[in-house]
Amino acid sequence: MPSSPFFVGLDADGAGAHPAAAAVARLAGTDLVSGTRLARTVRQAENAGLTFVSFTDALLPAVPGSPASARLDSVTRAAFVSRTTTAIGLVPQVPTTYPEPFHVAAQLASLDIAAAGRGGWIPSVTRDAATADAYGRAVVGDVAREARDVVQVVRDLWDSWEDDAVIRDVATGRYIDRERLHYVDFRGETFSVKGPLITPRPPQGQLVVLASDGDVAPVLDPAGGAGPLVDVTLVGGSGAATARGNAVAAREHSPLTGIDIEVVLDAGGRTGADRLAVLDASTPAGVRSPWDTSALRHVGSAAGLVALLTELATPGPDGRRPVDGVRLLPAVLDVDLPVLARDVLPALRAARLTAVPRPGASLRESLGLPRPANRYDTRVQADALSA
Amino acid sequence: MTIPVTRPSRPQTHPSRPQTHPDHPDHPDHPDHPSHPITRPAAQVHFGVFFQGVNHTTIWSDPESGSQTDFATFERVIRTAERGLFDAFFLGEGLRLRESRGALHDLDVVGRPDAITQLAALAAITTHIGLVATQNTTYNDPADLARRLQSLDVLSGGRAAWNVVTTDNAWTGANFRRGGYLDHALRYERAQGQLNVARQIWDAFPDSADGAGSPGSSDGGVAHVSEHSDLFDVELDPTTPRSPQGHPVIFQAGDSPQGRDFAAANADVIFSRHGSVLAEALEFAADVRRRAVAAGRPEDDVQIFPGTGIIVGDTPAEAEEKARWVRWNQVTPATALSTVGNIWGEDLSGYDPDGPLPAHDPVVEELGGERGSATTGARTREIAAQWRALAEAEHLSIRELVVRNSSERGFQGTPAAVAEDLVRWVRTGAVDGFNISPWIVPSGLDDIVDKVVPELQERGAYPASYTGTTLRENLGLRAPLTRRAAVGAA
Ligand SMILES: Cc1cc2nc3c(=O)[nH]c(=O)nc-3n(C[C@H](O)[C@H](O)[C@H](O)COP(=O)(O)O)c2cc1C
Repeated sequence: MPSSPFFVGLDADGAGAHPAAAAVARLAGTDLVSGTRLARTVRQAENAGLTFVSFTDALLPAVPGSPASARLDSVTRAAFVSRTTTAIGLVPQVPTTYPEPFHVAAQLASLDIAAAGRGGWIPSVTRDAATADAYGRAVVGDVAREARDVVQVVRDLWDSWEDDAVIRDVATGRYIDRERLHYVDFRGETFSVKGPLITPRPPQGQLVVLASDGDVAPVLDPAGGAGPLVDVTLVGGSGAATARGNAVAAREHSPLTGIDIEVVLDAGGRTGADRLAVLDASTPAGVRSPWDTSALRHVGSAAGLVALLTELATPGPDGRRPVDGVRLLPAVLDVDLPVLARDVLPALRAARLTAVPRPGASLRESLGLPRPANRYDTRVQADALSA
Repeated sequence: MTIPVTRPSRPQTHPSRPQTHPDHPDHPDHPDHPSHPITRPAAQVHFGVFFQGVNHTTIWSDPESGSQTDFATFERVIRTAERGLFDAFFLGEGLRLRESRGALHDLDVVGRPDAITQLAALAAITTHIGLVATQNTTYNDPADLARRLQSLDVLSGGRAAWNVVTTDNAWTGANFRRGGYLDHALRYERAQGQLNVARQIWDAFPDSADGAGSPGSSDGGVAHVSEHSDLFDVELDPTTPRSPQGHPVIFQAGDSPQGRDFAAANADVIFSRHGSVLAEALEFAADVRRRAVAAGRPEDDVQIFPGTGIIVGDTPAEAEEKARWVRWNQVTPATALSTVGNIWGEDLSGYDPDGPLPAHDPVVEELGGERGSATTGARTREIAAQWRALAEAEHLSIRELVVRNSSERGFQGTPAAVAEDLVRWVRTGAVDGFNISPWIVPSGLDDIVDKVVPELQERGAYPASYTGTTLRENLGLRAPLTRRAAVGAA
C-alpha cells in the first residue's frame, strides 16, 4: 500500500451540501453559480491545503422550479478552475446511467489535460425516473451494472492512445503511429463503443476514479489485467466505528478508501447544532434529496473534527490506518470552509498527518497512486509475460 | 496589390495558368469589377480564429509548429487572438477519428480536446473573446448539451457560442449508445428539435434572481421544459440560469439547401466555406438573405463568417513565396498520395508523388476511401474526372495537382493589400467577418494581429477596443430569437 499523506477532499458544490444551504446563504440563480464565486471558493480550498475538491452534480434540480437549485455542469466547472489553480485535484461527479460514455471520456481526458494531471471522476448512478424522462429513455434498472460498463469503457478509451502515439515522423509524413492507437471495441450490456477516443491519453494515464461504495458493480474479469475500476472507494457510516469498518471492508476491492463526512461546524458564535436546526427548518418542501444520506456526520467544534480526523489518520496496531482519507461535505460552504481553513487543516498539518499538494503535482501523486501502464501497450504485456 | 486569391501557387517550373486571371478588371472576381458595389461603406471587419486540430491545413512538420494537445498551445493562440481583438475562438469537432481505406488516417494533426471543456478552461484566462464550441446534434442528448453550453455561457460571462453541426453518418454512431440510428434526410429535423429544447432550457430561468420577466418564467420560478415529437421525448426542469447575453450565440456550418434554410431560420452567424472567391461569397450572401427574409427575419439578421486563410509578406513576392511554402508543406508527398488514393479508392503509396496520376480510372465504391470527411459517394467519380482533366491540361504531377487544388483558399499579399481586400469583402456585403485558420500553431496568428489588424484600423475598418463584454454585443447581434418580443415590449 502507498504510505501517502492522509487525504482531505472537500465537496465544493453550490452553496454547500445541506439542501437548504442556498436558501440560508440567500444565493440563487447566477449569483449562486457565477464563475467569480466558483473560482474564489476553489482558490480558498487550494489555499487551505485540501487534496481535492469534488463537484457534486445531477442533470435535474433538487427542487424543480426553484432558482435556488441553480447548478452548472460539473466538468465545465472543474475545467473553468483548472487554470485558476495549480495544486488541488479537481473531481467532477458525472453520472453514468444516461450520459454518453464516449463524451464523458473525452470531457474528462480534456479536463485532465487542462488541469495538467489534476483530474478525477466520481461516476455516480441515477435512480430517478425523471432523469430518464429528460433523456427520453427507458428507466435503467440495474444502475450499478451500467456504471460498471461505463467506467470500464471510459478507462479503455483513456488508454486508446498510447502515450507516445504522436510521432511526427517527417521522413514518412506520419503524424501518428497508428499502431499506437487502439479500437476499444467495447461491448457492454446495453451499448457498444468502437473508439479510439478523439482526445489523446490524459497526463495521468487514467484519471483518479472515486466512487461511493456499491455504485459501481465489481469488474467482470478482475484477472483481465486492466486494473481496478475504482481507485478510491468512498464509504459512509452512522458512526465513526461503522464508517471505519466499512472502509476496512472496502479495501478488499479498492486501492484506497475514504470516508464521506458531512460537517456542520461551530461558527460565527453559533454552535453546529444550532446551525443544523436552522438549516433543517429551512429545507424547502419537495426537495428530492433531503440531508439523510449515509455519510458520517460531524456537528460541533473544529477541535472535535480534528480529533475525529486524527483518529482516522492514525495507524492501528496492524500498522495501517483504517482509512486513507476523507471527503468533507460542508453544510454551508461560505461558513464551514473558512473554519476548516483556519482551525482544522493547519492542526492536521502540524501533526504531520496531512500534506499540502505540491503545485504541479498530479492528483495521483498527491494521493500516492502510481501512474498506470497502458492496457493496450504491447511492449508492457511482453515484459509482463517474460517476467 | 494583392496576389489574387485564385492564382495557383505552383512551382515556377510550370507554365503559368492561362488567361482569365482575377487580377484583370474584366474578371468578375476583380475587386474593381462593377458588379461588386460597396453597399456598406462603414462596415467593420470582424475576425474569428478556427483552431482546426485535424486536417492537413495545419503544418506539423516545421520546427515552429507546437504541440496540438498541450494547453499552452491553445492559450498562446487565444491570447494572441484576444490581443488582436478577435471576436471568437472556434473549436471544431469530429466524433470519430478519420480513416483512410480502413485504417486510421495517420498523416495529419489529430487528437482534439472536448470543445466545451477546453473552452471553459480558456474562459478563465480571457476576458472578451467569444468561445465557440462545434457540437453535433445527432449524437448529443438535447438536455445535456444545452446545459453544458449554458454552463460555459454563464461561467464566461456571456461569451459562449454553439456551432451547430449535423454530421450523422452511421460510422460515427459506432461510438455512441444508439449507433447510427438517424436517416440522413432527418438530420436537420433532429437539429431543429435539439435547438427548440435548448432554447426552452435557456429561457426557463427568470431574468434575474428576483424573478423579472423571461419568456419561459412568469412567476419568478423556473419553467418546465417539454418537447415531444417523432424524434424527441424530453421532459425536464432546468438548472442553468441565464447568462448576460441571453442565449449562447448560434453558429451553423451546413452548406446544403436544408443547411442554409436551417441557418436562415435559426442561426445568428453562418460559418461558410465561401472565403476565397468574392463573386461566390456575394452569391452565397444573397442566397442567405433571401432565405432569412423568407423565414421572417430581417435580411441582415444572419451574419456570415467564411472559413479562410491569410498569408502576408512584406512584399507581394514574399507573400507569394510564403504561400508556396505553406502549400507545399501542407501537402507532403505522403498526403498527396493519400489524397489521390482516397479518391481512387486504393493504396497509391507506391506511386511517385512527383509523377503522373495513375493511368487507370478509379474503381469507385458507394463511399470513397476516406471516412470522416465530407466527400462521399457519387462525388468521388466526378472529382476523379475533374482532377484528371486538370492534371492533363496543366501537366501536373500528383503532388502538384493536390497543391493546386488546395491553393484557392483565402487571402495573400502585403498587409495593406490584404486589408484592402478584407474591407472590400465586408463593405460589398459579401461577409461580416472571417474565421481564420492559422496554417501553423501556435504562432500562425502573429502576422495577422501585428500587421493586418493595424492596417484595418488605419482604414477605420476595425475597432480599437472591444465594444462590449459579451459575444453577442461584440458581433452586434440582436437579442436571441425567442426573446425579441420581450425586449421589444420592455
Ligand atoms: C466551414 C465548415 C466547417 C465545418 N466544421 C465542422 C466540424 O468541425 N465538425 C463537424 O462535424 N462538421 C463540420 N462541418 C460540417 C457541417 O457543419 C454539416 O454538419 C455537414 O456539412 C452536413 O450538413 P450539410 O449537408 O447541410 O452540409 C463544417 C462545415 C463547414 C462548411
